[in-house]
Amino acid sequence: MSIVALAAESEFEAPGTSTFWQPLIGDGAFAITRASVVILLSVALISWLLLAGTKKMSVVPSRKQAATEVTYDIVRNSVARDIIGSRDFLKFLPMLFSMFVLILVNNLFGIIPPIQYPTMSRLGFPLVLALIVFVVFHVVGFKKHGFIGYWKSLVPSGLPAWIVPLIFFLELVTDLFTRPVTLALRLFGNMFAGHILLVLFITGGEYMLVNGGFGLKIAGAVSFVMAFVMTLFELLVEFLQAYIIVLLSALYIAGALADEH
Amino acid sequence: MPTEPPTPPGSTSPEDGVPNAEAHHAWRAFAYLLSGPLLYGGIGWLLDSWLGTQFLLPVGIVGGMALSLYLIWFRYGTD
Repeated sequence: MSIVALAAESEFEAPGTSTFWQPLIGDGAFAITRASVVILLSVALISWLLLAGTKKMSVVPSRKQAATEVTYDIVRNSVARDIIGSRDFLKFLPMLFSMFVLILVNNLFGIIPPIQYPTMSRLGFPLVLALIVFVVFHVVGFKKHGFIGYWKSLVPSGLPAWIVPLIFFLELVTDLFTRPVTLALRLFGNMFAGHILLVLFITGGEYMLVNGGFGLKIAGAVSFVMAFVMTLFELLVEFLQAYIIVLLSALYIAGALADEH
Repeated sequence: MPTEPPTPPGSTSPEDGVPNAEAHHAWRAFAYLLSGPLLYGGIGWLLDSWLGTQFLLPVGIVGGMALSLYLIWFRYGTD
């Protein structure tokens, strides 16, 4: 069968944005979607894992305790303490750690069968997380510098007077728009693109294996190999994105706490 | 006076200023490079559709980019 003939009778549906809209109960804005079920599942799983990992704490840790400690250590020491500084970081640790495990588990759900749905590929979820960070780092800034002082501290001193208003609006847009929006979009984009790629390789591979001629069957097999390789790659991306979100959140908080930005 | 736990080598204590200043600078510079063209390109686009002209959008984008670069140079290049 030639490619042209295949294309003519093709019913293959390429994955798109509709792949991600999966209402389970109801429809419209208040539907209970697959994503909502997955995030509830993740919360239950995280609670259980953390409770189990911290139940019988001992100096020589059990395996569960060691795994919990390693995860906690990444956020506490490598991110929060190093970036916010040892004086203030403890206050923000609960938020940063919760965000890290929530995002990590939800990202990993993207490749764990039978869940295989990255929650953060629906823009609403990362948007809410970014909004929380946005509120926190501005409130921290207001508390530290005072309401007026915080806006004043945005512009570096020593600029020529005529350029100050231009720079002020640039700083304002950076803090009020660019930073929270890029925080949300980075996570969303990575999860969305990664998932769509996996769906394409797997459904495309299946379609070519089932419907294709000899040549296309080989291509289908190659497509499955690619799906496997990309799954490993996704594993890396999923971890990295969870890490980078808390890293940037900590950076924003540290920036608001600093004497000048 | 609160006692400070020893800070690991490579990171500065909060008293020395911002810890991990390089990371701050890098991410903030990235945000400036987005904000400049976005803000002033956006203003240019609005003026364009208001005045019926066509040249203010590119002027805004390039001007915003120049302003971003100037700010990055001023903040981090003149220490």
